[in-house]
Amino acid sequence: MTDTNPPAFSLVDIRGLHKRFGATEVLKGIDLQVRRKEVVCIIGKSGSGKSTLLRCINGLETFEAGSLSVDGQALKHTDRDAMRNLRQQVGMIFQSFNLFPHLSAGRNVMLAPSLVKGIPRDDARTRAQALLERVGLGPLFDRLPEQLSGGQQQRVAIARALAMDPTVLLCDEITSALDPELVGEVLQVVEMLADEGMTLILVTHEMAFARKVSDRVVFMHQGLIHEAGTPDEIFNHPQSPELQQFLSALRD
Amino acid sequence: MVQFSLWDIFSFLLGAMRWTVLLSLIAFVGGGLVGLGLLLLRFSQARGVGLAVSWYVQIFQGTPLLMQLFLVYFGLALLGMDTSPMVSAAICLTLYASAYLTEIWRGCVNAVPRGQWEASASLALDYQQQMRHVILPQAMRVAIAPTVGFMVQIVKGTALASVIGFVELTKAGQMISNATYQPFLAYTFVGLLYFALCYPLSWWSQRLENRRLA
Repeated sequence: MTDTNPPAFSLVDIRGLHKRFGATEVLKGIDLQVRRKEVVCIIGKSGSGKSTLLRCINGLETFEAGSLSVDGQALKHTDRDAMRNLRQQVGMIFQSFNLFPHLSAGRNVMLAPSLVKGIPRDDARTRAQALLERVGLGPLFDRLPEQLSGGQQQRVAIARALAMDPTVLLCDEITSALDPELVGEVLQVVEMLADEGMTLILVTHEMAFARKVSDRVVFMHQGLIHEAGTPDEIFNHPQSPELQQFLSALRD
Repeated sequence: MVQFSLWDIFSFLLGAMRWTVLLSLIAFVGGGLVGLGLLLLRFSQARGVGLAVSWYVQIFQGTPLLMQLFLVYFGLALLGMDTSPMVSAAICLTLYASAYLTEIWRGCVNAVPRGQWEASASLALDYQQQMRHVILPQAMRVAIAPTVGFMVQIVKGTALASVIGFVELTKAGQMISNATYQPFLAYTFVGLLYFALCYPLSWWSQRLENRRLA
C-alpha cells in the first residue's frame, strides 16, 4: 500500500526507484513524495532498504532506474555542479555523527558555508555561534569533537547541516549510536526543527518519537514501501501482517 | 707514496656527505611534491587516471633503483639532453621517491573513515575542498611517521648514484679506498657516516609513531 494521494507539488519526489548492490536488489521500485514542511519517518527492519533510500536522496548512493528530484531539480549523478546544488538543498545527519575530528565544534559548522557559499569568515563565525546556541551548545564553540559527549557531537552535526540552510534534512538513525540517556537531548533538537517547519525525512528506531513528530510514517519491507499513513494509522491500526509483526516484535 | 691521515680521510668523506644530504633533500622535497600531485590524481574520479598512477607506482616499486638510475642517465643522453650525473640522480630519485610516497600516503588517505568523505560530500564540498580541508589533514597525522621513515630509504638510495659517477659519500669512499689501499677502513667510515644520518631519522620516526599510538 503506497500513498494514494500524491500531492500536486512535492519538495522531494521519488518515482519508481530501483537500486541494487551486485545481485541483491535493495530498492524494488520506491514511490515517495514529501511536501514542504512535512515530517516523514521511515521505519522497518534492518535490511529493508530504508537507509539506502535516504542515501539516494542526496546522491551518496546511485540508483539504476527511476527518478528522484528535490525542489523540482532532478538528481543527476554525472553532473557535478547539479550534485553540489542538490546537496546544498539537502542536509544529512549520520548515525556516527561524522564530525571532522581535527576541527573544533565551531569550525565544523563554519567550514561548508565558508567554502561552498563563500561567506566571509567573521559572518560564518557569528552564524556558527548562533547555530550552536540553537542546539544548546553555545559555550562549546572551541571544543574538539573528542571532548564532547555523543549527544553533543550529534547536536553539533545538526548545527553543521543547518549552516547550509537546507530545505530538507535527512536523518539516518541519528540516535542509534547514542547511550540511552543521551537520546533525549538530540530528539529534542529534531522536534524543535519539526516545530519550526523544517522538512524532515528520518530513518528511526525510536517509535515513540516517530509517533510524536511525524506527519506521515512509512513502513518499508524488503525494498518496497509496504504501508504508509498517519502515525495513528500505522501504529494503532496496522493493516498488513508484516507491519503488525514488526510492531509487535518491538513491543516484546 | 702520499700518506693520508685519518683526519684527511674523514674530512674528505665529510665533504662528500654534503652531496648525499643535498641529493636526499632534493629527492625528498621533489618526491613529496610530485607524490602529492599523484596522490590527488590517484583518488580523483576521472576515468583511467587513478589506474595510470597505480601503474606508475608499480613500475618504480617493481624494478631496482639501480636500473632506474641507468635508464634515466642514459635515457636523457639518448634524448639529446646533456645532463650531469647530479641532475640525472636528482630526477631519478625524485621520481622514485614520488612513487613510494604516493603509495604510503594512499594508505593513509584510505585510513580516514568513509564517513568523513560522506559527511563532507553531503555538505556540498567538491573533491579538492574535501581533500584539502577534511581528508588530508587527518591523513597527515597518520602519514608523518612512515614518511620520516621513508627518508631513511632515500638517504641510503642515494648511494646508488655513485654508479653513474656522482661523487657522494659512497663514491668518495671508493676513491679513498683506491688511493689508500685500505678499503675496510674507508668503508667503515662511510658506514658510520650513513648511520649518523639515518639513525636520527629512524629514531624520530619511531618516536612519532609511539606518540601517535599513545
